[in-house]
Amino acid sequence: MVQENSLDLQKVVLACMESLNLARDPDEQLTIDKEAPIFGQDSPLDSLGLVSLLIDIEDALADEEVEISLSDEKAMSQRHSPYRDVPTLVAYINSQLEQESAT
Amino acid sequence: MKVFITGASRGIGLALCQHFLDQGHQVAGLSRGKSDLSHPSYRHFEGDVCSEADVKRVMRELRKDWKVVDVLINNAGIARMIPFALTPPSSARDVMDVSYHGTFTVSHAAIRLLRKSENPRIINFTSVAVPLRLEGEISYAAAKAAVESFTRIAAKELADFGITCNAIGPSPIETDLIRSVPKDKIRALLERQAIHKMGSFSDVSNVIDFFVRPESRMITGQIIYLGGVG
Repeated sequence: MVQENSLDLQKVVLACMESLNLARDPDEQLTIDKEAPIFGQDSPLDSLGLVSLLIDIEDALADEEVEISLSDEKAMSQRHSPYRDVPTLVAYINSQLEQESAT
Repeated sequence: MKVFITGASRGIGLALCQHFLDQGHQVAGLSRGKSDLSHPSYRHFEGDVCSEADVKRVMRELRKDWKVVDVLINNAGIARMIPFALTPPSSARDVMDVSYHGTFTVSHAAIRLLRKSENPRIINFTSVAVPLRLEGEISYAAAKAAVESFTRIAAKELADFGITCNAIGPSPIETDLIRSVPKDKIRALLERQAIHKMGSFSDVSNVIDFFVRPESRMITGQIIYLGGVG
């Protein structure tokens, strides 16, 4: 948790959402806000868009020498999706990083 | 162009490395052993296509060096040509591991670098053993059938990233892979093709060059067999 804590994960997530918006139609823009929905009925993001966003976040973290996989089977099948909004996604990334550092 | 080839140390994989190097491209190869290929634009990695750790290590290096992969060729494969009743289950698992799981693992890891390319391509290797349902090749044909399904479904899932995914199914080509197959079996196999001839490396590279061309951006999810099989 030494290296991870120095990263502002919320900032990384919001930056990736902003970057994704550049390639999206004006009426399909994601809200850029620290409480914003990401995936689900309150968001215009479809499953492919979600995959793109997760890969963008993985890439952004890899640029910071942090390797992580966000698209695992467990997360996909969780009843309360960790991808539903910015806070849950940030919490999920944090938990993945904690798991990584514990192994 | 930056081309990454698995099973790169011999046979068709090695010939493909040379083929792309001759055209002035940068090539990286992965195989379980060392490579004799020495070229300023060639980089070799030793590792197992089925090992997530090995594949991640290679992708980490390519990410640093290349930033992007334009073409991934999943060529690594092993053939075991023995009757079903004599095939040890562990051998069948090995064949499936290298052909199918290797293709899956490397493609999965490479998506991140491929999607940064202008014309990203995944090219897989299948075999005429699938449509011919060749007896004596149950493990090999089943593993390649899995690669074909992978190719068709990955083509759909990766299309929005601009990544095409196709496969070539060579007819018998003179390589290490079939050197151990008895001549009469090869002759019988050639008889079942529309074109009763052994293929050559250039027949393979011709199809691969076709998949790679920028103009082939609408070609995806396709399996092309050599020799008029299918």
